[in-house]
Amino acid sequence: MAAQGTAWQIQKRVIGALMIRELTTRFGRENIGFLWMMAEPLLFATLVSVMWRFVRGPDEHGVSIFAFVVTGYVPLTLFRHVLTRSISIFVANGSLLYHRQIKLVDFILVRFLIELIGAMMAGIFVGGVMYAVGVFPMPYSFGWLIGGWMLYALFCFSMALVIAPLSELSEVLEKIVPVTTYIMIPVSGTFNMVQWLTPQAREYIVWSPLVSGVEMIRYGVFGDAVTPYYNIPVALGSSLLMAVVGLSLCRRVRRTLVVE
Amino acid sequence: MIVCENLTKVYKIGHGEKKVFRNLNVTIRKGQHLALLGRNGAGKTTLIKLIGGVEMPTSGKIRRSMSISWPLGFGGGFQGSLTGYDNARFIARIYGKDYKDLRGFVEDFTELGRQLAAPVKTYSSGMRARLAFALSLAIEFDCYLIDEIILVGDQNFHRKCHEELFEKRHDRSLILASHSPDAVREYCDSAVIIHQGQLTEYQDVDSALSIYSEL
Repeated sequence: MAAQGTAWQIQKRVIGALMIRELTTRFGRENIGFLWMMAEPLLFATLVSVMWRFVRGPDEHGVSIFAFVVTGYVPLTLFRHVLTRSISIFVANGSLLYHRQIKLVDFILVRFLIELIGAMMAGIFVGGVMYAVGVFPMPYSFGWLIGGWMLYALFCFSMALVIAPLSELSEVLEKIVPVTTYIMIPVSGTFNMVQWLTPQAREYIVWSPLVSGVEMIRYGVFGDAVTPYYNIPVALGSSLLMAVVGLSLCRRVRRTLVVE
Repeated sequence: MIVCENLTKVYKIGHGEKKVFRNLNVTIRKGQHLALLGRNGAGKTTLIKLIGGVEMPTSGKIRRSMSISWPLGFGGGFQGSLTGYDNARFIARIYGKDYKDLRGFVEDFTELGRQLAAPVKTYSSGMRARLAFALSLAIEFDCYLIDEIILVGDQNFHRKCHEELFEKRHDRSLILASHSPDAVREYCDSAVIIHQGQLTEYQDVDSALSIYSEL
């Protein structure tokens, strides 16, 4: 392998090749092709926000309800997709392990990146359209918006690093992950803000890295119209801890993995 | 050189386990053409997968000081839903080769014509063999791992394999798992037999084959 470049160059090539391969197998080259990857978050964010607009009126606690739902739903689809897509990921990609330069973590990273890019494209597109029709504000601070998004995404990726090898060890996971991501919606910050809660409840809810992420995203979009509550050290710390656990689980699973 | 030291491979089957082999030692020199003999289920494919790095040994070590192809066999290495061209493009990308050169060689070697634009899952095993060989020859390895597949081709394919693998690349190493005495005699200069979890080396292919035929 030495003749084929440094480890870093090889990994970059592998990631690129795997992404193209995944996009072609999943979305094909017909009609809009890989643009499909933003279709689902886009439809969800748009339709749910339209629905909420009719059920709850134009504003939610003083901010545009469209923007409120979009800033919650785009992250939520990332979270749910990254987690569900990491189940049985090694079995699905098993035949690729015939090539020694491809590592288990590459599979997880590639699927995560595709969901991440899809969600970002959807967010930018739907935000842009809503800004044009006047129901989405110009973000108050892109720094907060991007920072919150990165914190949220990092947590999703670390969760995937744990779930992917665990799903290899136990098939029960396949059954419980979808329902768990659903149950987690109340602690995901999607449909509510921490400021609406009692001060005592606030202390607990900011332990959820997802909540911290969404709060920062919303502060980045709405600025002082909302009061964000977040805990960056907890969010970062728990993500890193899970990443370490996940990586060592991947190593362990690789040793016993049976490749057809 | 490829050095396998004390390789043990155990598969978990339900609550029990299956020991494929234990404390297996073997060394493959540069330019050696080694035949792997053994009955069905003896562990030939498993050993090839371990040497190729597809699966990991339960214990023991493999030291590789030459580049080794991925195992060329019936399964693995390909994405069935993708076309032959897509697979070639993928291989070119991950091995850092120029796709245009590789494509030319693959078209030439496989003679598959328009079939290359069809999904690999629609290929016959002979067609898969052609594609697998073409891709691995285009990448250029020091050692080729071949699991049975060499036997499925037609005369024309055999001739081409012979030309590319045994004439142009005679200095390369080869590990061939096979049940066919003819193929082993034709392609290999040494042989090992895997039987009941143990590996025995033979310098002489004919004596290995005669022992193998009595197993």
